[in-house]
Amino acid sequence: MTPVESCHNRKEPLEIDADVVVVGSGAGGAVVACELAEAGHKVVVLEEGPFVPALEHGRMRPSESLRHVWRGGAFTVAFGLGDTPHINVTMGRVVGGSSTVTGGVCFRVPDSVLATWRKDRGMSELTDAALEPYYEAVEHAVHVETVPMHMRSKSTELFVRGAESRGLEMKPIRRNTEGCNGCGRCNFGCPHVAKLSVDVTYLPRAAAKGARIFADCLVDRVLMKGDRAIGVEGRLGNGKHGKPKDPFVVRAKRVVLAAGAAFTPLLLRRSGISGVSDQIGKNVTVHPGFRMIARFSEDVKGWQGSLQSAYTDSLEHAGITLMGLFIPPAVLAATMPGLGPELLRRAAEVKNLAIFGGIIHDEGGGRIWPGLGREPIMTYRMARHDRSLIPRVIREMGESFFAAGAKEVFCPVLGAPGMDADAFRKFPFEDVKSRDIECSSQHPLGSCRMGMTREHSVVDTFGKVWDTRELYVADGSIVPTSLGVNPQLTIMTLATRVAWHLRETPYS
Amino acid sequence: MNLRKRPVLEGTFDVREREPLPVSDGVVRRARQVAEALFSSQSAPPAKERLDWLGKEIRSFVGHSGADASRILALSLLAITVLGPLLSGKFGFLDRPLEERRAILERVEKSFLSTALLAVKAVLCILYFEHPDATREIGGPFGCLIESGSSPSASNKQNKEPQS
Repeated sequence: MTPVESCHNRKEPLEIDADVVVVGSGAGGAVVACELAEAGHKVVVLEEGPFVPALEHGRMRPSESLRHVWRGGAFTVAFGLGDTPHINVTMGRVVGGSSTVTGGVCFRVPDSVLATWRKDRGMSELTDAALEPYYEAVEHAVHVETVPMHMRSKSTELFVRGAESRGLEMKPIRRNTEGCNGCGRCNFGCPHVAKLSVDVTYLPRAAAKGARIFADCLVDRVLMKGDRAIGVEGRLGNGKHGKPKDPFVVRAKRVVLAAGAAFTPLLLRRSGISGVSDQIGKNVTVHPGFRMIARFSEDVKGWQGSLQSAYTDSLEHAGITLMGLFIPPAVLAATMPGLGPELLRRAAEVKNLAIFGGIIHDEGGGRIWPGLGREPIMTYRMARHDRSLIPRVIREMGESFFAAGAKEVFCPVLGAPGMDADAFRKFPFEDVKSRDIECSSQHPLGSCRMGMTREHSVVDTFGKVWDTRELYVADGSIVPTSLGVNPQLTIMTLATRVAWHLRETPYS
Repeated sequence: MNLRKRPVLEGTFDVREREPLPVSDGVVRRARQVAEALFSSQSAPPAKERLDWLGKEIRSFVGHSGADASRILALSLLAITVLGPLLSGKFGFLDRPLEERRAILERVEKSFLSTALLAVKAVLCILYFEHPDATREIGGPFGCLIESGSSPSASNKQNKEPQS
């Protein structure tokens, strides 16, 4: 197997030729790289982040993972415009991309969403049946399985009990795992190689077929000759403090961008390709997410069990999905209100805390702008309807916990104290200013969405950038609308579709 | 399937050894002073040894997290320690008595600076509660953190214990 080549200390110049260069090694890029390498193409994968071997994740404390594996130490924000909270949008920056730091949740595209893609956007070929072969390939490759009941954490069990008593139908989650026995820290890299992220599935397969994977390689732009992509150029991360320094060039017959929804549009812009569509960087959806923490009098120890194992789509008609999750105790302690003795007292109660999350199936309103440096600026203006759902999300989760016997809940409202049931029911969530709402996202999508026309999209349904040759996109940026569910499987499925198309398409 | 038999990528792993971005002493000092107030018991600040450890961790965390994270944290600390006291009609935060610093932060938590405090508090809490003694105080260790050279499968077995 070809080892990952780190460019952090690389002294010699990097100037190579390939059939296909893939920019980004996450859920989209890894799939394309693997499928094309296995089809006999000479593939090069370029990843901006470092390489962390699979078994090293477990030797990192969560904060070490944040500083070495997550983009910007997880301090990445979509700035809320108008009546919108600021949103902490987190992403992986490592070989394997965000797939290394997801909870591993795998959903197929909901039927209602596929119907929208066909009806409103004219993508008639995107039916469940047509996508089935791609789903099957991905689900086999990353071993998608239903989380068994015995793997549910007590945190999730409590929420499920409360939610079901209120009439919400709770369903088991499917995840890309094999042999997981639950330590609730998937978001910081699986310590047991039980979460089958792309760095332990697709990328090793690609490397086994000769694909070269370079870490610490920042691509600055796509090289174009007329309307044809002929490679990429950028800088190796071999400067002082890991800053980009020495230039590199990869010449290729085909370029596939998979740098994620935040960076792919910037690459297109920097490459002078922004003229092909005025949709580049627009239409970003994020699934604004909110957490609810509840204190029980009994021990919960929510870190014991699967990180995510149950969800409900009973509120999907309203645009809400509630989803189990957990966060490491030290991170959980950080969410407790108060200072000094109160904070310490609260932190000592982490074993009594349960947590659940809710996401909004958003209409969009996000945008990626070029920043002063290499990082983008993200903004997000929440649609009025989406904004109106926030109190509902909070209430549904809080009431479910109280129905399960919670003594107190901690809402995603800055400065709000812990609330018992009475205080919770009286709290005017509708009046809380947007800036005081804690909101996070792990699902930025749609900044180079696919579609049928260049007026409404950036790429066609096989990821080809309009009005170019040999330039493709295969990451979350092409997902045309919000999904209302975790997008990992969708990204991998669409990337497989792009890859299989490229496998059959002669170079121009 | 024995998961350790799954083919995994190989390559040089050196992220811990990489030279971090320089972090100013001012940032670390402000963070320490906020941490003292955040993690003090009724009357006493945390042990000096724990704060020293936290100081080193702050330097590493900020230095390895990149320029943007460094700027956000530095600006948040500046906002809390410069603008924060003004909310209580005071000037300056550093070296004030513990009680006063805590009162200032309590005021900040309910003000327009609450987002800045959340960012700082999140980082400081994550780091602080990873100190082995602090971890024990909140009910840890929490399993699954594999010590170098130990077997993941052994750690795995310990983790899912029967629940009452």
